[in-house]
Amino acid sequence: MEFPIELRNVSKAFGKFRAVDNLSFRVPRGVVFGLLGPNGAGKTTTIRMIMDITAPDSGEIHVLGQPMTRQTQNRIGYLPEERGLYRKMKVIDHLFFLAAIKSVDRESARKRIAEWADKMELRPWLNKKVDELSKGMQQKVQFIATIIHDPEVLILDEVFSGLDPINTALVKEYLADFRGRGKTIVFSTHVLEQADKLCDEICLLAKSRKILEGGLKDLKRRHAGDQLRLAIAATPAQVADLPGVRSSAALNGEFVVSLAPGTDRREFLRRALERHDVQAFSQREPELEEIYLAAVRDAGMEETRPIE
Amino acid sequence: MSWAKIFAVIRREYIERVRTKAFWFGTALIPIFFFAYIGIQIATSKSAGGQRRVAVVDAAGGLYEPLVKELADRENKARQDPEHHQNVHWILEKAPAGADLAKTKEALRHDVLEKRIDAYLVLDPKLIEKDRIEYYSTSVSEFVALTQLEQAVNHVLLRSRIGSRGLPSDVESDLERRADLKPFKVTKSGATEEKGAAFVTVLIFMVILYTTFLMYGMQNLKGVIDEKTNRIVEVVIASVRPTELMLGKIIGIGLVGLTQYLIWSLVAMNLSLPAIAGMLSTGDLGVPKIPISMVLYFVLFFVCGYFLYASVYTAIGAPFNTDQEAQQLAMIPMMFIVSVWAFFPVLMNNPNGGVAIFASLFPFTAPLAMFLRTSMGQPPGWQVALSIAILIASTIGIAWLAGRIYRVGILMYGKKPTIPEIVRWIRYRPGQVPQPAAREAS
Repeated sequence: MEFPIELRNVSKAFGKFRAVDNLSFRVPRGVVFGLLGPNGAGKTTTIRMIMDITAPDSGEIHVLGQPMTRQTQNRIGYLPEERGLYRKMKVIDHLFFLAAIKSVDRESARKRIAEWADKMELRPWLNKKVDELSKGMQQKVQFIATIIHDPEVLILDEVFSGLDPINTALVKEYLADFRGRGKTIVFSTHVLEQADKLCDEICLLAKSRKILEGGLKDLKRRHAGDQLRLAIAATPAQVADLPGVRSSAALNGEFVVSLAPGTDRREFLRRALERHDVQAFSQREPELEEIYLAAVRDAGMEETRPIE
Repeated sequence: MSWAKIFAVIRREYIERVRTKAFWFGTALIPIFFFAYIGIQIATSKSAGGQRRVAVVDAAGGLYEPLVKELADRENKARQDPEHHQNVHWILEKAPAGADLAKTKEALRHDVLEKRIDAYLVLDPKLIEKDRIEYYSTSVSEFVALTQLEQAVNHVLLRSRIGSRGLPSDVESDLERRADLKPFKVTKSGATEEKGAAFVTVLIFMVILYTTFLMYGMQNLKGVIDEKTNRIVEVVIASVRPTELMLGKIIGIGLVGLTQYLIWSLVAMNLSLPAIAGMLSTGDLGVPKIPISMVLYFVLFFVCGYFLYASVYTAIGAPFNTDQEAQQLAMIPMMFIVSVWAFFPVLMNNPNGGVAIFASLFPFTAPLAMFLRTSMGQPPGWQVALSIAILIASTIGIAWLAGRIYRVGILMYGKKPTIPEIVRWIRYRPGQVPQPAAREAS
C-alpha cells in the first residue's frame, strides 16, 4: 500500500481538554515523516492512537492499510517517549523478551541481537543487568528492542531526547539506512533543528491542531520568499549600498539579502558582479523554525512558541 | 488473545522472579520461621525436662516413700515408652514434719530462696481432705512439670485410699481406666472416624490459601507499580494487549507461588521419608488420609481465589505510582482475608450457622470459608454450588473490571487519581469508534 499510516478526522479529548482536534494526514511509504510541534501540541497522543494504545473519540486510523491488528502490530517498531526497561533483567534476556512479544522466534532473535549488539558495540554488556548500564547504553538497548523484529514502519516519539551527540548521530545514521531500505519512519520532536535535516515530509501541530503539512523541500521552496544568500568580497556597507537591497545581514562570512519589492534578481546579480567578486549566489532556504513561525502566524496562534 | 505472547509474559515473570535472591531466601526462611514458631510452642508446652530437688513435708505420713517409688517408676516407663510424658527427674528429700508445721515451712522457704532446693511439697492431711496439695517454689508456672508431679501424688493418694478401705490392690488399675471420646463425622458414604490429623491437614491447606491470596496477591500489585515506575509498560503495551499482559503476570506470579509450595513439599517428603518408612514397617499408617473431594475443593478454591485476589490487587495497583499510594486501598482485600481468621472459631463451632453461610457465599471470603466448611462438615449441596457460582462469576467480573482499570491506569503518571476518575476509566469504551471485525482477528 502506498500510505502505511493514514489518519482521517481523528479527535481525542481527555475530559474537557481536546488533545487532538480533527487531525488528518497520510504518511507515504519510504519517507521520514516528522510530527512536529511544541510540547503539549498532541504529538504523543496522536502516536499513542496510531499504536492503538489510546482509542480516538472519533475518526479513523489505518495502519498498513487497515485498523491496527495483531499482525500489523508485529510489523511496527515503536519507541515511546516514556520508555524504560526492567532494571533487574539481563540485557540479553530483556531483548529476547521484547522480541518474543513481537512474535519473533528465538533463533531469528538470537541472530538479530548478535548483529545489532555488534553494530552498537553492546556485546560486552549483553550479560549485564540493565541497571548496571549507563543511561546511554540503556538507550541503545531500547533502540535495538524497537527494531529487533525488522519492522516495516518505525514510530519514534522524541527519539533524540536524552541522547548524547554521538548516539544522536548514530541513530540518525540508522534512520537514513532504514529509509534507504524502503522503510517508513514517523518521528516526533519538539526540537525543530533535529527534524530539519532528517525529514522528507512533515506535519506541524500546534494546540492540538494541524497547521501545516507537506514535503519539506516543497514547503521550503514555497516559504523561500525574497531572501538570497550571497558570498561576496565586499564590506557590509558596500553590500547595503547595492541597488535593490532592502536589508542585508552578515551571517557566517556570507550575507543574507532581502531585495526591495519589484527588484529583478538577474538585474541585481549583474550589478553586484560589476562591482565585486561574487563567489556564490543562491536563494536562501528558510529554516524550519521560520516556516513554523509563519504558519503559526497565519493560523492566528502567535502566542505558541516552537521551543520550550 | 495470543497465547504465545501471554506465554512470553508468563515466562519472563516466572523466570525473573524465581531467579531473585528474595525468592530463595523466602523459600528457605519461611519454613525455618514456621518450624521455629512450632518449636517454641512445643518447647513452652512440653519443656519441662531437667531435674527438680523437692523437699517433701509428709505431715500425713506414709506418703513419702510411695511417692519416691511412683516417680521413679514413671521415669522408667517414660524411658521405654515416649507415650508417657515423664521427662522431669525428681529428686525428693524428706523434710522433718515436726510438730510445728509453720516453723518447718519457714525453714524450707529459706532453703528455696537460697537455692538449696527448688521447691517443697506439703502433704498436710487436713488439706488433702479438701483435695489440696501445696507446692512452694520460686517458679510456679511450670505447667507441665507440675502436672507430672500432681499425677504422681494423686496416684499415691489413690493407692493409699484403696488400702485404707481394705479393697484388693488390683482394683487400682480398674479405677484408673479412662474412656476417650472419639468423634465420628457423618457423611453420605457412611460414618468415618475423624482423626485429629485431618484437622491439621485442613489447617495447613487453609494457611496455604491464606498466604497465597495475601502474599502473591500483593506481588501482583507491586509488579504493576514496578512496571509503571520503570516506564517499561508502554513499550510492552505496544506489542501485547493490556489484558494479555495482566493475565500473563497473574499466571506467572501464581506459578512462582506454586513452585515455592512444590519445593517445600518435596523437602518435607524427603525429611519425612524415614518416618513414613517406619510407619510402613510397623503397619501403622498414621499419615492422615486426605479425601479426594478435599483436594478437588482445594484446587478449585485455590485457583478461583488466587485469580480473584490477583485481579483485585492488579486493579488497585494500576492507578498508582508508588506502593505507598496504593497501600490504603490494598488494606480492603486484606481485611476480607484476615476476617476469615477472626471468624474461624465461629465457623468451626457452627459450620452451618448464619455467619458461616454468609462468609461462604460472599466471594471475597468464600474461598477460605467454603473450603473450611466442605472439609469439616457437610454443607448443603446448593450452598456449595451457589458459592462456587458466585465466586467464579465474581472472579470473571473482577478480572474484567481490573482489565479496564489496568488498561487506562498503567499509562497514567503524575498525580494520584481520584475515585471518580477511576470510575470513568471503567466506563471508558475503546469501542466508541466503530472498527471492522478484522480488529480482533488474530
